[in-house]
Amino acid sequence: MKLSRLFFILGLLAILSGCASSTPRMADVRAFAAEAPKLGAYHELTERYRNTYQREQPYLSPEADARERQLDLRRQQACDDFVKLQYGLQAYMQTLGTLAGDKQYDLEDQVKNLGGGIKAWPGSGLEERHVNAYAGLTRLVARGLTRQLQENAVNDLLRDGQQPVQEVLDAMRTLLRLYDKSSDNEQHTVIGMLDSEMPFLDARRDRLLLALAKARQQDKQAEFRLIGLRYTLARQHLEEIAQQHRALVAQLPAQP
Amino acid sequence: MADLSQQARFETLADQLSACADALHRRLMAALRKPVPAGSPPAIPQGVAQALFENEVALRQRANALYLDAAVVAASGLAVHQQALLELTARAQQKIDKIDRIKDLVDVAAELLALGAALAGGKPDKVLSPLEKLKHHLDAL
Repeated sequence: MKLSRLFFILGLLAILSGCASSTPRMADVRAFAAEAPKLGAYHELTERYRNTYQREQPYLSPEADARERQLDLRRQQACDDFVKLQYGLQAYMQTLGTLAGDKQYDLEDQVKNLGGGIKAWPGSGLEERHVNAYAGLTRLVARGLTRQLQENAVNDLLRDGQQPVQEVLDAMRTLLRLYDKSSDNEQHTVIGMLDSEMPFLDARRDRLLLALAKARQQDKQAEFRLIGLRYTLARQHLEEIAQQHRALVAQLPAQP
Repeated sequence: MADLSQQARFETLADQLSACADALHRRLMAALRKPVPAGSPPAIPQGVAQALFENEVALRQRANALYLDAAVVAASGLAVHQQALLELTARAQQKIDKIDRIKDLVDVAAELLALGAALAGGKPDKVLSPLEKLKHHLDAL
């Protein structure tokens, strides 16, 4: 076996693909992809928006109920589309994470196998330094090849994704703002009904009803305070994701 | 961008209706809380209060319908971008496939090298195992 020839070929490959780039950027991309679960809040809040009628219904007059039922029909249909907004984005982020993943393209195991395989035959004329050089070169080749492909793929994805990602995130933030405002009206409808009916209760005769109404009032106030915070937080998360993506795109090497 | 201004129009109108409903509610509650002799009902009759509140709710429903219109406008016209994202993702998936094959290639190369080393070492009995391994690997590809 022409060992020297193999070394030559391996060496050549290593030189050809020697421009293997560093990985801190890939770590940044992975960190970005790891934010994908934060899109879950958008999904939950869309579902909450979808169920507006169900929550409001007990507090509505028959006329208001009829109007709300019509609105509910439209809302149900629209929400089917609204939840879909995040799916493309989620798939994009997950793919980016897989592409930039460090495990999938870690060839250390193969390289170790290679080293081990050669070491199994001592006294064959293969000296230790040969084996090490061998393994080292193969490692370089493997890294050079895959790492460059990996970087290119990630860069392409970031570059092509820039506009659609920002547009979709923008729309999601707008929808969250609109859900929030709609939720304010729901809050005033529900709590307002209790507020405006309670003064007509007799403190002695309707004691039980008054107590229940007050308790309901407190529960609803707490619920809407919490929901308001969640809307704010979800919008902040989307803003962070948009900023991170912009930063990654800004770091892209100039296109050849 | 015409869509954006349309969305803004819907939203602004809804904001204004909501603000009107808020003002109505403040007036209603002020009337209900007007001090009256202990034990007597509020200053305005219950029927009037209910009718006022009914108006307030109708305003809020109108506002919420407009918020929904605004949301629909905001989410529409994005189908193109959605599609772009999905296509992009599919394309990247293919790239991952490609890289995976190179990983296999490196695997195979390593096995070839191991085989070569066994042959070079002149230990025929040691050749068998890497040969088998390589064969299995190629079959699996």
